[in-house]
Amino acid sequence: MQREIVVVSGWRSPLGKAGGLFAGMTAVDLGVAVLRETLARSVVNAGQIDTVIIGNVIQPTDAANIARVIALLGGVPQHVPAHTVHRNCASGMQAITDAAEKILSGRAEVVLAGGVESMTHAPLLFHDRFREALAGLQKARDVSSKAKALLAVANAPWKPRIALLEGLSDPTVKLNMGQTAEVLAREFSLSREEQDAYSLQSHQRADAAWNRGDFDDEVLHLFPPPGFSAVHRDEGIRAGQSMVALGNLKPVFERPLGTVTAGNSSQITDGAAMLILTHREKAEAEGWPILGYIHDWAYSGCDPARMGLGPVFCSHKLLKAKGLEMHQMERVEINEAFAAQVLSCLKAMDSKDFAARHFGEKKPMGAPDMERLNVQGGAIALGHPVGMSGARLILTLFNQLKHDSGGGLGLATLCVGGGQGGATLVGSQPWKQ
Amino acid sequence: METVKLLREDSLMRLRVERADRPVNVLDEVCLGELERQLDVIEETPPQLLVIESGMPGCFIAGADVDVIAAVSDAGEATRLAERGQSLMRRIEDLPCPSIAVVAGSCMGGGLELALACDYILGVQSAKTLMALPEIKIGIHPGFGGCVRLPRKIGWLKACDMILSGRSINAEQAKRMHLVDLVCYREKIEDGILYLARRGKRRFSGMQPWWMRLWPARAIFFAVMRNKALQRLKHLDVEEAYPAVPATIRVLSKVAGLAEGQAYAMEAASLGRLAVTPTCANLIRVFHLGQALQKQEAVKKGRERAGQIDCGAVFGAGVMGSGIAWVAAKGVQVDLHDVSDKALARGLTLLASLAGRDAGRMAHIRPALDKSGLEHCQMVIEAVLEEMEVKNSLWQEVSGRVSRDTLLLSNTSSLSITEMQRAVKYPGRMAGMHFFNPAPKMPLVEVIAGEKTTQKTLQTVAALAASWGKYPVLVADRPGFLVNRCLMPYMAAAFALLRPQQGGGQSVEHVDGALKQFGMPMGAFELADRVGLDICRHVAEHLSAEFGSQQALPDWFAAMVGDGLLGEKSGSGFFLWKDGKQGGLNQALSSYIPTAMRAEKEGDASISDALPPMAAMDVVDACLLPMLVEALACLQEEIVQSAEHLDAAMVFGIGFPPFRGGLLHHYSGQDAAWLQGRLKQFELSQPANLDVLKGEGA
Repeated sequence: MQREIVVVSGWRSPLGKAGGLFAGMTAVDLGVAVLRETLARSVVNAGQIDTVIIGNVIQPTDAANIARVIALLGGVPQHVPAHTVHRNCASGMQAITDAAEKILSGRAEVVLAGGVESMTHAPLLFHDRFREALAGLQKARDVSSKAKALLAVANAPWKPRIALLEGLSDPTVKLNMGQTAEVLAREFSLSREEQDAYSLQSHQRADAAWNRGDFDDEVLHLFPPPGFSAVHRDEGIRAGQSMVALGNLKPVFERPLGTVTAGNSSQITDGAAMLILTHREKAEAEGWPILGYIHDWAYSGCDPARMGLGPVFCSHKLLKAKGLEMHQMERVEINEAFAAQVLSCLKAMDSKDFAARHFGEKKPMGAPDMERLNVQGGAIALGHPVGMSGARLILTLFNQLKHDSGGGLGLATLCVGGGQGGATLVGSQPWKQ
Repeated sequence: METVKLLREDSLMRLRVERADRPVNVLDEVCLGELERQLDVIEETPPQLLVIESGMPGCFIAGADVDVIAAVSDAGEATRLAERGQSLMRRIEDLPCPSIAVVAGSCMGGGLELALACDYILGVQSAKTLMALPEIKIGIHPGFGGCVRLPRKIGWLKACDMILSGRSINAEQAKRMHLVDLVCYREKIEDGILYLARRGKRRFSGMQPWWMRLWPARAIFFAVMRNKALQRLKHLDVEEAYPAVPATIRVLSKVAGLAEGQAYAMEAASLGRLAVTPTCANLIRVFHLGQALQKQEAVKKGRERAGQIDCGAVFGAGVMGSGIAWVAAKGVQVDLHDVSDKALARGLTLLASLAGRDAGRMAHIRPALDKSGLEHCQMVIEAVLEEMEVKNSLWQEVSGRVSRDTLLLSNTSSLSITEMQRAVKYPGRMAGMHFFNPAPKMPLVEVIAGEKTTQKTLQTVAALAASWGKYPVLVADRPGFLVNRCLMPYMAAAFALLRPQQGGGQSVEHVDGALKQFGMPMGAFELADRVGLDICRHVAEHLSAEFGSQQALPDWFAAMVGDGLLGEKSGSGFFLWKDGKQGGLNQALSSYIPTAMRAEKEGDASISDALPPMAAMDVVDACLLPMLVEALACLQEEIVQSAEHLDAAMVFGIGFPPFRGGLLHHYSGQDAAWLQGRLKQFELSQPANLDVLKGEGA
């Protein structure tokens, strides 16, 4: 019989704005802190872990294979291997589904998987011609060639390239992520007001969820240096957010007529999340508590210029494979990369035309009800530490199903830069045919 | 028995020092004699290369024998000992062939001076490879030519620092400061020897750097060194307390201008003078006291079990708790628990300031607000509020969650461990582990057995403390244990001196000044401010209820606490405090004790009835004798195992001046009749076991 994948424990850090509360912590520091806390709060012993898989996008140059660095510093024994995965915004989800695949294939029993990102520490890079000129200077031997090389360095473009911006651009279609959102906003004729209203709702829902204590079993207290004051609440949530304030913001990606602003886009943030996965028999044999089940997952590709529609394609693929309908989902998390992008997905899911064109089906797959979608707010309010968000969505679904909806199925899905989508089907109960 | 072997290999000779009779190589009579004999042989048929190495793992030569120095009673004898060492070193230096010292393991004092006499030093990469000239710590300075050769090898600035601080240098640092000529891994030693040998005999120019030859530059340099070295000792009469410090600077500054022969003679003569000072004998005694604590039977027996502990928790992130977490993080992963996130943030900030020295250790400490991770802990130390209910409710919760052999340790300073044991299951695993403030700095740890504490637990705790670099002393579970019980009569006596009738109305600053001049790290009033007046009062009430009035504090002290004058933490006590720095006297003090401010009003003619201030020595005896009486009572009641442990506890726990050798030792030199008279003078009871002091003379 096929193994059933379960999650026995999972925690995430609060999300801090780039250059904000966690500015003094690198991606390694964040990962180590959350990994240690997760282990400390779990009945699973570090020595029982078979492998560690961590998703990370802006991989620090001073911590190659960051998963291994985090595992060793976090107290995972040396004999446990670790590797890092990268599928852009879905890296955190990739780590979890890879872990699940390892367990399914019998190559691992217990896997620690998660995502980590410090967008604060995205580096500044030198232009390649500048690097070349510096290399030339090192090779120069005599005075005249040294002078020439020095001149070449002086003439080379010295302005640093910002890795964060370059990472958020698609080299194949020459668009940055915000521009792909503008494409969707135009094509699905989404107004600025619609986008802003959705963003306001995200802030209000996140604020309310925190006030209710929904995040208490999900988010850790961290004590970031240099002040070591405790941080628990996500930094980006604006309790007093208003349509007026949102309306005052200028479009960022297409001036002056665009509709995507800093206020209706996800926030650039730092954070980490870690989950411990195993299969049901193992968990039951060891007497470990079960947070929830991971039933299935799917990734799919789409037009890179419309990467925001990724969730439509992968959700369709996943639901179809399992013979499920969208309305059977008790909770849905669509990562809020941009308000325009989430709203486009909803429109596409409801569109007959879209269904006919892309899936060859007469009936649209149907969009999730707004009362079941991102009920505790999303990346617009909380933030989107790219390599970590995928893990966060799955973790928050488990907690919502457990504490909020009284069980059921959940779908976590996100769009991926480069034209992909990832979706994971989770549930509070074992799979019933 | 042969301790120095001479091995011949073709053109190479190896001088291998290997003691079969000792745990480490030391330069004592036996070893020096054999080195001299072997050098005779070498000088007769010089090889092409001489290698000096150790046959003992983890140790090159740990220095001269401390006991030999301690035994010297005559300055001339000490000088001759130094001259003998010096001539040995010069013979090695003058050999026609190159010589290489292979330093693997500790290389201290005379050992480093021997290495310095070689042409080259090869440092072997290992955590145990440490080099130092620690003589200053026992009140002398290097005497086998180190004062001459070290500056020549690494420069004056670094040499003065090494000699005056006595600090240890590891292989990497030694390479960076050119103390060693090559650092290599164990497997590459032979390659390293050949590599250095190819450089041939080293020729020192014998010349000082240009600036050393300009007397103003030289004078300024040594004046700066002197100021820096004496800064910590500014309250003391340095020539009496630590004569080695000024003497070392004198030697170094003279050596800089002298020819080699004269320089060595100067070094030897100065060493001779220092070796017979009481400071030297007392510092050696204190060194032995510390060693005895770290190597006591309980530590040896508990070492194995303590070594298995790799994860622990500390409750309470105050100054004490976070300090303990820092100490424990030397050996184990530590969860630092507190219910308040503010307290945790403060504790972590404090630790971060320590972590400047050791960033890796900070990573071993995990702050926790929710008591998470207890299941993985093999040891729990509590440093929460000093109230039995608070502690008991913590223990009840903790003892249910940890495994049955997890050590439960209380850092209580006054509560009974036996009583605490009633609240927990398996009380055998519970003991007291009392640190002293500031925990990262003070070396003493009182280890307290409650009624049900097992021997195994006690031994593990002692070994654990020792493995963290602390000195454990086993004490009985009586109120105040040992140190605080002896400290309180001392504090009470100091406070009593302020009263006009009894103490002659001494001023706060006069009393604190006299105690500091005696060598106490701080005065009694400053100490009260640092500890917190409310805590002092709490402890005094507790102790006086048990032991009587010698432990009680005056009424005006309670009034101060009542008015919120709590010392450093409230910004004012006896002194004013700002950002952890001591300011002037607190003016409000005069409303509690009129005479306390007398120093300020000296010029005021209206206060003419005041007595003249007591002599400093009288102030010291007035404070210390009550402490001595209480200490003798503790010995009588077997609170502590031995007089040596008691002396060690006072030095390492409250900073009793180490150059005085310990509390009992300090008074042991006095005539019994004088002491009895003195006790009577200060209206103290005559202890029945006063003759214990006689045994402490050594």
